Amino acid sequence: MDNFDIGLLSFPVLMLLIFLRMPIGLAMFAVGFGGLYFVTGGTVVALAKMKSEAYSTFSSYSLSIVPMFLLMGQFATLGGMSKALFKAAESWLGHLRGGVAMAAIGACAGFGAICGSSLATAATMGQVALPELKRYGYSGGFSSATLAAGGTLGILIPPSVILVIYAILTEQNIAKLFLAAFIPGILAAIGYMITVSIYVRLNPDAAGTRPAVPMSERFEAMINVIPVLVVFLLVVGGIYLGIFTPTEGAAVGAMGTGVIAWWSGGLRGRAWLDSFLATAKSTAMIFFIVLGAAFYNSFLALTQVPQELSQWVVEQGFNPWVVLSIILVLYLVFGCLMDSLSMILLTIPIFWPIISILDFGLSTEELAIWFGIIVLIVVEVGLITPPVGMNLFVINSMDRETPIVKTYGAVMYFVGSDIIRVIILVLFPGITLFLLRLLH
Amino acid sequence: QDVTLKMHQFLPAQAKVPTDILDVWADKIEAESDGRIKIDRYPSMQLGGRPPELADQVVDGIADIIWTVTGYTPGRFPRSEAFEMPFIMTNGEDTSRAYWQYVENNMLDQDFAELKMLGVWVHGPGLIHSKSPITSVADLNGVKLRAPTRVTNKMFTDMGATTVGMPVPAVPEALSKGVIDATVIPWEVTTALKVSELVENHTTWPDNALYTTTFIFAMNKDKYEALPDDLKAVIDANSGEEFSAFAGKTMQAADQQGLDFAMERGNNIIDLSEEQIAEWKEAAAPIEAWWVEEMDKAGIDGQALLDEAKALIEENSK
Amino acid sequence: MYRVFLTLARFAAILGGIVLTALIVLTVVSVAGRALNTMMHWLIDIGLLGGLAQSVLDMGVGPVLGDFELVEAGIAFCIFAFLPLAQITGAHATVDILTSRFPDGVNRALTALWEVIFAVVLIVMAWKLYDGMQGKMRYNETTMLLQFPVWWSYAASLGGAVAAALVATYVALARLAEAATGRVILKGAL
Ligand code: NA
Ligand code: NA
Repeated sequence: MDNFDIGLLSFPVLMLLIFLRMPIGLAMFAVGFGGLYFVTGGTVVALAKMKSEAYSTFSSYSLSIVPMFLLMGQFATLGGMSKALFKAAESWLGHLRGGVAMAAIGACAGFGAICGSSLATAATMGQVALPELKRYGYSGGFSSATLAAGGTLGILIPPSVILVIYAILTEQNIAKLFLAAFIPGILAAIGYMITVSIYVRLNPDAAGTRPAVPMSERFEAMINVIPVLVVFLLVVGGIYLGIFTPTEGAAVGAMGTGVIAWWSGGLRGRAWLDSFLATAKSTAMIFFIVLGAAFYNSFLALTQVPQELSQWVVEQGFNPWVVLSIILVLYLVFGCLMDSLSMILLTIPIFWPIISILDFGLSTEELAIWFGIIVLIVVEVGLITPPVGMNLFVINSMDRETPIVKTYGAVMYFVGSDIIRVIILVLFPGITLFLLRLLH
Repeated sequence: QDVTLKMHQFLPAQAKVPTDILDVWADKIEAESDGRIKIDRYPSMQLGGRPPELADQVVDGIADIIWTVTGYTPGRFPRSEAFEMPFIMTNGEDTSRAYWQYVENNMLDQDFAELKMLGVWVHGPGLIHSKSPITSVADLNGVKLRAPTRVTNKMFTDMGATTVGMPVPAVPEALSKGVIDATVIPWEVTTALKVSELVENHTTWPDNALYTTTFIFAMNKDKYEALPDDLKAVIDANSGEEFSAFAGKTMQAADQQGLDFAMERGNNIIDLSEEQIAEWKEAAAPIEAWWVEEMDKAGIDGQALLDEAKALIEENSK
Repeated sequence: MYRVFLTLARFAAILGGIVLTALIVLTVVSVAGRALNTMMHWLIDIGLLGGLAQSVLDMGVGPVLGDFELVEAGIAFCIFAFLPLAQITGAHATVDILTSRFPDGVNRALTALWEVIFAVVLIVMAWKLYDGMQGKMRYNETTMLLQFPVWWSYAASLGGAVAAALVATYVALARLAEAATGRVILKGAL
């Protein structure tokens, strides 16, 4: 068995371990370690790598964005920003048919603009909106599905932890990726709202009604959203306009939301410590996966699998669009079972070299950005596709009365909306690249 | 083949140093060993880690051959800093030849004791690329400037610049966003980093070099020792002084492209006059004393090393 | 026992959170310093309030020297310090689609197996980090701008790594006991 075979064999082994519920980061680490053992003929190299690999992965300046964005999301919740967003959206949309669900989507989009993680968005908005949806007679399955789908806006709308990691893997500009994600993110929110209105027309029993709120109250609710807007403009605008680097933007955002939370009295004693604990758990989870992937990928590089695979694809002379479609379908299938971060870390080092040498009529930079946004969307679909969808689980854990199967049924409408959006963005790269081309 | 060697470095495969120097060397080794040595090339840190770890990687055997910037691990190869002193280098070829001789005399059983050295070299004269024109030392005042090494950072800080530390790949973004106003790098690197599109002014020191950066190309010692004698001979025949001189010459030759590109764009190329250069020399001079003192603290005779470096450069540049 | 290790993990995480907060403040101060510096130079250039601007600059207002280096060193400590909590609360991402159909006993055995492997990995990681630290000491490596020894950052991280190894060992033993007796020792997520 030569190195290339060992590299190929590592895929099924890794999958088997993951499906036996080995923690994903640990599985990648273990397979990478074992692979290095076979390829280099001993543990010397693998152990030597451990001397510096963990420290160098954890001390990355670019990755320091991740805990900062996560902490920022915690502070935003403590500062009452999630509540303010939902109140504002609800006062404008609540009286429409399915309006409270639409408001939940709108509030998720708003929260996504100051939070870099989907799970955090789903969890935060779930806490705020789930009781309200129940109160106005929305069915459990539909409410959970709406919030799970809305949660994905946390990553689709910049800032976005996954885009940061994609940017590092493909050596692309984080600010440009954030800019490119903006229109697709808004399209996602609009698509979800349309989905809500279609769903309540097909299932009239799934949603209750609520009287309209007077205009004065609506504008009053808007005022409370101003801090959210300010933080978003400061962070994403600041990163884009070049007032600071992405890491600096994350720091400014975390400090800004922290001050707001402090001001509003949400950041006292226990709550502050809890925000540290929550940030610690998510951060450690993410970084261990990043470390496992780094280990696994350096083993894979030694086996030359990524290089030979991409060369093979090119030699076959496949149509670029067919290759892209196959890759996207693979993501959708694996997305039903795996989480998005692991998928990105595992596959981008293999798929990006393939995509980068195919001709889509775009420059390498535009191609990297367009491909990144589309991959981002398809892996995020994985968060809401049954059976394994992290967002579904998060919401389900907050609403034990609703069997998850009911949520599975309703969420498929949102998955449909996602797939339509992916097809549109694949067919018209100009939509994703519009802002980028406009501003450069 | 008998042996496969993993060659690891941080630049993309299509950059000048890999294509014109490292691949040339590797191809030659493969050919002259009749294919008994195969060299697998891993550009862009494909084997993992970050550029400062390359030195550890080759010692530990994670990679068999590496190329890296000596200054990425400040403090580890202190003696090499003599060649980073301002206004010391003449041209890439001669200075690299001198550097190899200096390494043989002073560093092989010290700084580089754990490495099998294949070549050492310097890049062409370094210069300043800036948003606002810089002609006198006073123009540096308050300029946010990125420099590559411990020595250069100290020097520019002392001259009044606000030095900002960051990895090279971050330079284009930082320039375009005003995080920095200027950077020092040789012309060769400006092409890949698109520096000439981001700044309009380039200050040069004709017939002089404000600074340079040193590089090492090294092999794992055990891996080398384990080779049969005839294969060792192939490696030896292609390593050392001649190869170092070739690498330094090739790297400086690549500067022309960067200069041409900046001229094509109509950028402002400032060639300082003799008098202006004299002012810079005076301002830069204290760094030598600082360095000698630093070396003394580490128990190294800095003055002797500096004198030897200067003498070797002069001798080789005749 | 559970209380002791949970407290250790929480303590490490909160320490990491405090360092993270400090890094955030440091970065914001650096950004503000840079912005002020740029603004003062601009004022001097356009000839407005030049004297005031110059005196502000003379006070040394500008970006914090070596802010990148401090963030890198600090963030490494944070991540290592966060690991113990993730370990004891079972925060690591898993896929349980297949195993949810397995009998309880099998699942407990699997959990114990993975936690044992995890503990081994974290112990080796702490040991190797110690090795790495010794290398940095031996080679006298420093950072570029502030020139503080790199091994200092390694040493700080080592603290977190050792805590992670300790907690992981406890978790592994507890999971083994759970698999053997069927009793619940670790409460799982907080
Ligand atoms: Na977001
Ligand atoms: Na899924």
